[in-house]
Amino acid sequence: METDVLIIGGGPAGLNAAFEPASNGMNVTIIDESFSFGGQLRSQTQYFDHLPRPFNRERGTNLSRKLIDRLLPFDVDFLPQHTFVGKYKDGTIGVSHKNEVIPINAKKVIIATGAAEEAIMFPGWTLPGVMTIGAAQILMNRDRVMPGKDAIIVGSNEFAFDVVQQLKDVGANVHGIVESDSQMRLQNSQKIEAFKNLGIPLYVNASITEAQGKGKVEKVFLGRNGEKINLDVDLICIAGGLMSILEPFEIMDCKLVYNQALGGWIPEYDKHFETSNQSTYVAGNAAGITSIGGILTTGELTGVSVMASLGVLKSEEAAERKRDLWHQLYQIEGIQRPDTYHARLAAIKDFNTSKDRTLTK
Amino acid sequence: MDQSTIVCRCEEINIDEIETAIKMGAETFDDIKRLTRCGMGPCQAKVCMNLVRQLIYDYAGKPLSDIPPARLRMPLKVTRMETLASNDSPSSSSSVISVFNESASNQGGDIREK
Repeated sequence: METDVLIIGGGPAGLNAAFEPASNGMNVTIIDESFSFGGQLRSQTQYFDHLPRPFNRERGTNLSRKLIDRLLPFDVDFLPQHTFVGKYKDGTIGVSHKNEVIPINAKKVIIATGAAEEAIMFPGWTLPGVMTIGAAQILMNRDRVMPGKDAIIVGSNEFAFDVVQQLKDVGANVHGIVESDSQMRLQNSQKIEAFKNLGIPLYVNASITEAQGKGKVEKVFLGRNGEKINLDVDLICIAGGLMSILEPFEIMDCKLVYNQALGGWIPEYDKHFETSNQSTYVAGNAAGITSIGGILTTGELTGVSVMASLGVLKSEEAAERKRDLWHQLYQIEGIQRPDTYHARLAAIKDFNTSKDRTLTK
Repeated sequence: MDQSTIVCRCEEINIDEIETAIKMGAETFDDIKRLTRCGMGPCQAKVCMNLVRQLIYDYAGKPLSDIPPARLRMPLKVTRMETLASNDSPSSSSSVISVFNESASNQGGDIREK
């Protein structure tokens, strides 16, 4: 199979990266290991703000539909249940589908495989009834299954609070949020207000010391400054944050770098989101953990870069578009998550410096 | 934390086993993997990798930026045996085994010839 642009991962970053090349007449192939496209947006019923043009405040589920719908008029092949498993020596991508492997030859590859949730370890964390916050959300909003009746949440990031609201909406009791830090990590003042109205206890400087139960979670023990608290719960949701998915980059021979503010190990890339492998680009959370606005904007930037490098876009026009998108990224990520934005700029600068050094050698 | 707490749930490796490996000189995730089978189960280290990196940091004081991620190999995802075994189609490049061969030949071996 031949394609102009192969996009690995059909979530918000991949779908948005597809738009520019597709709407300019290029053939784009998007593969995703799941049954349908949209990635995690498909189960995110919460509203998202601070989205790049042309999107406005929107529920994740609706946003997912819009991202797919606007690609439909163009030459885009959507390949669900297609998994990237490896690479051939000549750079051809190996994609498995059911019981066959399909070699895909692409002029450019965009890796938009997103992020995975981090685990938090405590005695009993492997009992049924302990799951990540994202898993609880998938059960509720995609599979229509109650993950539990009596829940406790470990970690207090924004995503945790969104899912707390959704757990309440389906009739679960939320008995508390446990945060090891001295204050909650959620920064959004509107959401903090909404949370206060729910009357759910917030345990700061606290952690789970143990989860107990026969075959499933029945009891959780919390430690807070030497004080012991125990609660009867059947669901423990872990909100440990996100890390970029790295496997595809290693297979594509892209160099990795450690950057704590961007979520740990990430691929190295320049301001065009090109990795150390010149045929491979990165977009979205795979390029460092950010907000949905950052995911969409980096996706579009990558799409424009790919067009420019294939000569579809004139270099002045491409430079103009990229300037505009970097400005949008500043307005969205730079304001909402300044640490992420500045870490990203620093990482790009470091990568350029190391590239320059290689060139002058 | 209790030393019997599981770190790698696929292979049921606990904190004590990880710390023993560190005492024996393990410095990276891959060192621990080779000594204990940690990260070699169905999830292929997707859940335990950072937990182990954190334990190396806690126990040996090595900064997280100096503890590389696990070595990741093809095939990246769980793949049917049927797919792995089917190498008799006219275009042999249509099976994973050819992907395997190319990665293996880098390290001096061809699966088909063995």
